[in-house]
Amino acid sequence: MLLASSNFLVPNATIIVEVIAFLIVLGFVWKVVLPPLNRMAEERRQKIADALEAADRARAEADETRSERARILDEARQQARQIVAQANRTAEEAKAEALGATEIEQARLVSAAEAEIAMAKRRALDELSAQVASLVISVARQVVGREIDAEAHRSLIDEALSALRQGAETGVAGERAQKV
Amino acid sequence: MSVLDIPRLLAANITVGVHPEGKVFGFSMDLDTLWATGAAMLVVMGLGLFLRARATSDVPGKLQIIWEALVDAVTNQVEGSIGPRGAAIVPLAISLFLLILVANSFEVFGLGSKYEFLPAPTGDINLPLGLALFVILLVHIASVRARGIRGYIAHYFFHPFPKLLFPINLFINVVEELVRPVTLALRLFGNLLSGGLMLALIAALAAWKLSGIPIGDVAVIILDPVWKIFDVLLIGPIQAFIFALLTIVYFDIAMQEEH
Repeated sequence: MLLASSNFLVPNATIIVEVIAFLIVLGFVWKVVLPPLNRMAEERRQKIADALEAADRARAEADETRSERARILDEARQQARQIVAQANRTAEEAKAEALGATEIEQARLVSAAEAEIAMAKRRALDELSAQVASLVISVARQVVGREIDAEAHRSLIDEALSALRQGAETGVAGERAQKV
Repeated sequence: MSVLDIPRLLAANITVGVHPEGKVFGFSMDLDTLWATGAAMLVVMGLGLFLRARATSDVPGKLQIIWEALVDAVTNQVEGSIGPRGAAIVPLAISLFLLILVANSFEVFGLGSKYEFLPAPTGDINLPLGLALFVILLVHIASVRARGIRGYIAHYFFHPFPKLLFPINLFINVVEELVRPVTLALRLFGNLLSGGLMLALIAALAAWKLSGIPIGDVAVIILDPVWKIFDVLLIGPIQAFIFALLTIVYFDIAMQEEH
């Protein structure tokens, strides 16, 4: 028997087949198995990167929305404050205006009443003076015993009347002065 | 039979590295190794096809995660030492690792008999030596491509000692280059051969009886699975890993600019 076939450390022709077998496995792994699996791994890496980026973007958007909301809320609060202040001011003004109008009306009413009073007084005086004139004439007629010609003594009567009126008016003026 | 008979018993029954030979195209070949290599190829390629069919860019399955971890580890190793120039070494290292891993795991079917029905093909010198020679051939080609033919030859004369000592350099380098494929092959082969030898030794214990009590059978029932767990889960993966790692290391050394 040859040494080659008896010693387990010496290879035989099997070695050629073994190398070919390995070449087949190598080619298979290299060209058939690795490319699609590497592609999938790369795709997954890309997907994860995209997802992370999208999450970052969403977070930034959320932050922006939150600050925007705070800003709007702040504005609204400020506006509300302004509106309330404005309303308060308007109310004050309205109140003041109403008060002013009342005072004016009051004054108007008072003055109107005073004017009416004065007019009534004058009318009363006029009436009184007219009655006094006729009374004077009738009294005088009785005293004198004859008819007094109203026309003839007109000037006399008028004189008396004006003296009377003057006296009455000074009395009224004195009254008013006292009132004031 | 007593305890003293054990050495004689073992020596009588155990054969090492014997393969049923047959003539294929006029060459004598180890038939069991051929058939086991074919089975290992089918397992690796079937695994590859399965992975390829199930590959997804969404949530990957466990097998795909393991595969991607393996590819990642090998790629990092290659890129870390050799750089982008070594991209073609990644499939080589992965193929070596997977084929050797699957071949080593056939040890689990070992019976400890003279002929196994599915032996680990890495336990036959032909597969480890074939792989080692192929790898070292590629390493030399890579070395020539990286340094040029002048740089490649100069490397034998002017390294590691100064130019004046070129005969010593030449001797050291030639020995180193010759030893490399042999150590690469024998490391793997020796581990797997001894794994099978251990199984044969354990199986031989079956005949051991003490005063009619079959102690040997109990020993076989306990020791056989213990050894197989150790051999298939630890030694097999470690040897596959070392073979692939040394391949990368040899390429790294061969493709370095200096020296």
